[in-house]
Amino acid sequence: MMKALGPLSRRRFLTASASLGIGTIAAPYVARADDPTLRITGWGGKWGDIMKAEIGPAFESEFKCKLQIDSAFPYLPKLQASSRSAPIYDVMHTNSNEQWAAAEMGLVEPKIDPKLVPNLADVYPYAISDKIVGVSIFTSAIGLGMRTDKGYNGVTSWKELWDAKYNGVRGGYVIPVNSLGQAFLMMCGTLFGKGQTDLDAAYMALEKLKPIKIVDFTGAMEKMLLSGEVGMCVIHDSGIYRYDGQNQPTDFVSPSEGVLSLEQVLTITPGSKMKELANAYVNYMLRPEVQKRLAETVWYSPANKKVKLDAKYDAKLLTTPEKVSKLIQVDWKWYNERKDEIDQRVNRIFRA
Amino acid sequence: MQTTASSSLPVAQQAASMPVPGPTRPYGRYLYLAVNIAILIFLLAPIAIVVVFALNPTPFIQFPPVGVSLRWFEKFFASRDFMHALWFSLEVAVLTTVSATMLGASAALALARGNLPGTRLIVATMLSPLMLPAILTGLALFQTYVLLDVGRPTWGLVAGHTLVTLPYVVRTTLAVLHNFDTRLEEAAQNLGASPLRTFFEVTLPLIKPGVLAGAIFAFIVSFDQFPVSLFLVSPGNETLPVTLFNYLKFDLDGTIGAASVVSIVLAFVVVIGLDRTVGLRSYVKL
Repeated sequence: MMKALGPLSRRRFLTASASLGIGTIAAPYVARADDPTLRITGWGGKWGDIMKAEIGPAFESEFKCKLQIDSAFPYLPKLQASSRSAPIYDVMHTNSNEQWAAAEMGLVEPKIDPKLVPNLADVYPYAISDKIVGVSIFTSAIGLGMRTDKGYNGVTSWKELWDAKYNGVRGGYVIPVNSLGQAFLMMCGTLFGKGQTDLDAAYMALEKLKPIKIVDFTGAMEKMLLSGEVGMCVIHDSGIYRYDGQNQPTDFVSPSEGVLSLEQVLTITPGSKMKELANAYVNYMLRPEVQKRLAETVWYSPANKKVKLDAKYDAKLLTTPEKVSKLIQVDWKWYNERKDEIDQRVNRIFRA
Repeated sequence: MQTTASSSLPVAQQAASMPVPGPTRPYGRYLYLAVNIAILIFLLAPIAIVVVFALNPTPFIQFPPVGVSLRWFEKFFASRDFMHALWFSLEVAVLTTVSATMLGASAALALARGNLPGTRLIVATMLSPLMLPAILTGLALFQTYVLLDVGRPTWGLVAGHTLVTLPYVVRTTLAVLHNFDTRLEEAAQNLGASPLRTFFEVTLPLIKPGVLAGAIFAFIVSFDQFPVSLFLVSPGNETLPVTLFNYLKFDLDGTIGAASVVSIVLAFVVVIGLDRTVGLRSYVKL
């Protein structure tokens, strides 16, 4: 028979509180096993779910280690604040613009050694091009997202975003804090000027984009498009395809001028004490079966040429050399060197 | 020059003869009521929007709502990450409340009674975490822990939260100590009570409203703390605000609203619980 709990006395309350406190503080130390730990960063959302449920545990089991995934932003300031000889991460996963900033500060190794990561031999050239620090394990295509129920048919070019009929329903990003917004600014230079680095042409194009609804996060743009608050916007393909099968009146357009690449990049930190394991992790993430599982979960285009996706995904993602050739990579090194100046200028444009 | 009869009266008499606006004027009451209603709407509107968002079945904010659904609450309670974050936040908030209350109340007593040199400077220093942007406090603590090579332990997070909640306890306790009649303590000691007994049976009950007010602030500030936690949480041990922030970068659906509603209800439950166990009404008298 269960003993009935008496009233909560002060003594019992204090004892329980103290136990809770000691338990909370001590738990991580008690639970920690002796396995080596590889500290990495990683996204949340569906990516985080599948990493925790399948991909991460399978890696831990195969390599007899513990994978510690930090999915709490911001990664770069944390890495900056930690010691170079004992960095807080062994492998950093983030977008290309941040990786370049980290590489410029010497916080990550600029290249991955193909001898230590054999799967590098199977990636598309863009994944290890001179525009990439480390290796891009996946990419999304940045293009145009649109409502299919508003009569906006036949869109083929980036320039149609400037059409006056989208005034009031046009969507973009807070450029200083969003990679898509930054990549789009470079695209504006290509569309209306001499190339990605033609900032004057880009600024003029941004001026003409107004009125535009701007958001910080891509997730917010997805919801604005779903709700109809936005009819045409800059977005990555994964942000549209992830609603596949839900009968949403939205679609992704790959403009004829090309799509911008939003790379998911892995780098290794120079001071890591787990170099062997870090290289093994990068190699593991490039394995065809791991790439396929992740690509079909989050709608990212795999970097490994040998990956064979199911027909539904193969039809939409960049899985052939012809499709991959449409990718336009951004010169993030050039951009980061001018980021402060660009931020100030675009803030003025959108504040006015 | 001719003057009117009233203007020839002394100023005091003129003032006395003027009609005095009284509280019975109906438009004054209406204005007072309108201002209060406006303030209430200003305070409660964000909560109402969050509730509507949480109960709306669509995966985006839609007004007017198209229906009522608990799907986002189901998703929230079914998520291991959210549940872990919720309990972890509660644990950290409880530990922070205990540490901030003990340290803050002790410090306030020492400052009010100790005849310490440079009391004003010490008080200003103790309140300084409120002046500094919390994100810098978080970054500074993170760097300190890195330098000490202790990683990102839970006690480090609790210490960070204690740092930013301490000023609330110090301030509210000092407020009650300001009007404290020390003769009551002297009377207790004259009647034979030891200093410890005097503290627990005379001082503490009298300063309880201030201490309790500080404790409530400490709990709520810790439970909702984001900027300090951002740098101090460790992988797998994220607090609810940090988990929500990471979630909304990828999925801005009603789960955020459901989590917010749960947080509001929890904060409310804690306040009611403190009222029942310790007596919040005494705080209201403050």
